[in-house]
Amino acid sequence: MKISFTGPLLELKNAVPSFEESGLPPVPFNMRLMPGDCVFIDIHDISRATMLADVCSGLVPLESGSVQFMGFDWCRLNEKEVNSLRGRIGRITKRRSWPDFMPVHMAIMLQQLYHTTISQETLLFDAAVLSEEFGLPGLPMLNPNSMSAMDLHRANCVRALLGRPQLLLLEDPMRDASRELIDAFLRAITRARDYGAGVVWLASGNAMRKYYQQGVTSALRFTDNGFVTVRMG
Amino acid sequence: MRDFPIQQEQNPDQDVLSENDTDHMSELSQRREKSVSVLLCWIRRRFVWIGQIFRRHIRFLLIMLGAFWGVVFESLRVSSWRRSVRYEFVSTTNSIIRGGLFATVFTGVLTGVAAVSQVIYWLGFAGLATMTGSVLINIVVREIAPILVGVLLLGRNGILSTTELGLLVMNGEIRSMQAMGIDPFLLLILPRTLAFTVGGFTLGILFSCASLITGYVMSRISGVITAPVWTFFSNLMSAVSPLDYVAIPLNFIIVGFVVGLGGCLTGLTATNQDTLRSLLPRSFSRGLLIVMLVSVLFSLDL
Repeated sequence: MKISFTGPLLELKNAVPSFEESGLPPVPFNMRLMPGDCVFIDIHDISRATMLADVCSGLVPLESGSVQFMGFDWCRLNEKEVNSLRGRIGRITKRRSWPDFMPVHMAIMLQQLYHTTISQETLLFDAAVLSEEFGLPGLPMLNPNSMSAMDLHRANCVRALLGRPQLLLLEDPMRDASRELIDAFLRAITRARDYGAGVVWLASGNAMRKYYQQGVTSALRFTDNGFVTVRMG
Repeated sequence: MRDFPIQQEQNPDQDVLSENDTDHMSELSQRREKSVSVLLCWIRRRFVWIGQIFRRHIRFLLIMLGAFWGVVFESLRVSSWRRSVRYEFVSTTNSIIRGGLFATVFTGVLTGVAAVSQVIYWLGFAGLATMTGSVLINIVVREIAPILVGVLLLGRNGILSTTELGLLVMNGEIRSMQAMGIDPFLLLILPRTLAFTVGGFTLGILFSCASLITGYVMSRISGVITAPVWTFFSNLMSAVSPLDYVAIPLNFIIVGFVVGLGGCLTGLTATNQDTLRSLLPRSFSRGLLIVMLVSVLFSLDL
């Protein structure tokens, strides 16, 4: 279903996440992400990055404020609408996300098979192309426990970018990655931004930002008092 | 009709109450109010305590009932049958039926040797050969088959589902699915429960056929029966009442359904404090209890 909206793709308006649910500081967070933008958030603790990404996807209840995605407030939607909207988010997470009983190619396509009507052949083709782009020999058909951590990370990139997601939530996506993988990844997110996807890049330190200096539209630092804008350049 | 004096009625002689009396009365009324509120509080606490015990003990049953309705309701909606749900249904059905086929047929053969041929022999020995059909239908097909198929389903696939879903919860993969907008109930509980239902029916019928055919073959080899197989099965069919045509398949279906639902829910309701050491025995005991309960319910002549 095509959703037309104007304004920011993702907006945190004085969003105070529940401390009990997330462990994040209960202070107001503010952020605006327009379609095609890339915001870099410097965050030291990667578990907090996961929770922050959860806040952006409406998984963490708020004490006050709001989080809006594509113009919709997560709190005002019913469960089916929430799930449908989350289907438009591609995510690279540090949390375990590969079920042991499902082969990797199915796990890669799972979100698209669940939410869209794109034919399985098209999905297989697109996933195979992305897999090769990220340095895999093809679409992995193995079980996740038969794959190395780096190959699973490549598969994670494929899954996040498959099906033209509207928003990319990336939790330290390129830590310990090779230069080839970084280049392929940057090419892929630039393509995604070209068709209007927004990117939230959560990582610790500025090392990765240097690779994508010209692409980052704004940079923030996560502190106990909320986001602090970081001067770029 | 006797008139009783009203206690609260004011004494006409006492027109004005003394200050002490007023204080005393207000103190009494305060005490009464206090004792009533204490009593109400005590009753409330007792109710809360009873409610907590009640909820703790029947929590799983309530979850089962809710999920039972959820599975039935969602399975009738076309929008629930997304491709990933269909994939999970087909792969679980294959795993249950293909994986359990040999074990079920082998158990059926053993039951045929141990129970069916013995029943045929002893009924013939006692001169009650005409009752063979009804005894076999009532004991083997209605009583033994659902329990053994239920236990096989539980051991082979029910506990496996508990482990898989329990690990998903404990490792946080369920949260990752939710982040992708995937409803774990639709993706995991619904297709797996229905796959168990199909598996329960299929394996139950296979078990019954295997045990009856083996029983006939053993009796024929030992010379207890001389009639052809068609006559044997014709006798069996004549012992099946019209109600049995519904009750026997329904028993297999319900056993499969509740074993699947119980296994999946035990896994999905695991907490971070749970480990496989605590989860697996819980799943086994719950599953066994459910199988026995369904079997007893179907044995009752309601």
